Amino acid sequence: MTGSFMTLAMLLLANPAMAQQCMHVSGARIAFEIIQDGAPFSGEFAEGGGRVCMDGERIISIEAWLAPASVNTGLPELDAALQEAEFFDTRKFPRVAFTSKDIETAAQAYIAHGELQVKERTVPTSVPFALEPAPATTRISGSLTLDRLALGIGSGEWADTRWLGAEVKVSFSAMLEQ
Amino acid sequence: MHTHSENSAARYGIVAQLLHWLVAAMVFVQLGLGIYAGNLPVSLARLKWLSWHKALGIILLALVLLRLAWRAFHSPPALPAFLPRHERLLALVVHALLYAMLVLAPLSGWLYASAAGLSVTVRGLRIRNLVERNPGLAAAFHDTHVIFVVVLASLIVLHVAGALRHALRHDGIMSRMLPWRRT
Ligand code: HEM
Repeated sequence: MTGSFMTLAMLLLANPAMAQQCMHVSGARIAFEIIQDGAPFSGEFAEGGGRVCMDGERIISIEAWLAPASVNTGLPELDAALQEAEFFDTRKFPRVAFTSKDIETAAQAYIAHGELQVKERTVPTSVPFALEPAPATTRISGSLTLDRLALGIGSGEWADTRWLGAEVKVSFSAMLEQ
Repeated sequence: MHTHSENSAARYGIVAQLLHWLVAAMVFVQLGLGIYAGNLPVSLARLKWLSWHKALGIILLALVLLRLAWRAFHSPPALPAFLPRHERLLALVVHALLYAMLVLAPLSGWLYASAAGLSVTVRGLRIRNLVERNPGLAAAFHDTHVIFVVVLASLIVLHVAGALRHALRHDGIMSRMLPWRRT
């Protein structure tokens, strides 16, 4: 009896969750750019968040999300159209989420390999990012290019890339807080 | 045979005539495109039609500037003295305002498209934005565009009414702008 209690206690102490420390994302800025009718068109998502978990100095996981309903292109009728089923279907899917599976450490930067979940699709995605010290916090930032068609964003008539490009450049930055 | 490329004292030359009718035809198409496209809901069709509207509008602006340049170096035939003074004055004012609106209507459209972040491409060629992206400014330019276009359309109604009046009076004013009339 005492023996199994000891084993349990040791298991608990060895649990990596106990050594890990998570920081929350605040003040996220997520911008995107897409080619429409041959020229770049940009917008942003006002609402996003997430957390970065460390084990000592090592980043072990990243979870991030954004609320597509918070899209802002400066054109209200377009923002409304982006809520519809052909695009983000925000009533059914209020969040786009990324979950890392593995964090690769490169020279100055990192790459989070994981899964991006948009609507009913889950697509393997790698997100390069960098961390830099900021007063009292750490700033995280990065950018990547996504294929909107692979994510099912802009289906039906909107799949015509002559008018709306397939590539979407996404850039993000946020502060990490304890 | 004299080619009539120059304006004479009695009638417009072929260059002025061609530019006049080309711009006239394009303005009609442009009004139709704008009303149709501008009132479509957000859709691929709207994106396409507005793309054509913007491209044609830029070409139209270039043609109007070309017309004004040609006119600056080739004085139009004076209106005949048999017309009452107030009619000549009215024609002068309507023509001046037409030219002003033919520049301001497309210019305001271009400013609107620029401020809204909807850059113009003409057959794949990127046209530069006139102003930085600015949603507040975009809303103002949108309304300006609509106002100038309405003023332009009203002036066209006056202009066509005047032309028809001359045609019905057979006073020779209408035929000054008709390429197939030789005097
Ligand atoms: C003589 C030239 C032009 C004429 C007569 C014209 C006419 C019109 C008309 C009638 C509308 C519909 C207004 C409404 O019902 O809301 C419109 C809308 C529009 N025009 Fe033009 N236009 C001209 C040039 C241009 C140019 C050069 C551009 C851009 C480069 C442009 C961009 C637009 C846009 C983007 C709209 C849609 C406004 C909306 O969002 O509803 N236009 N135009």
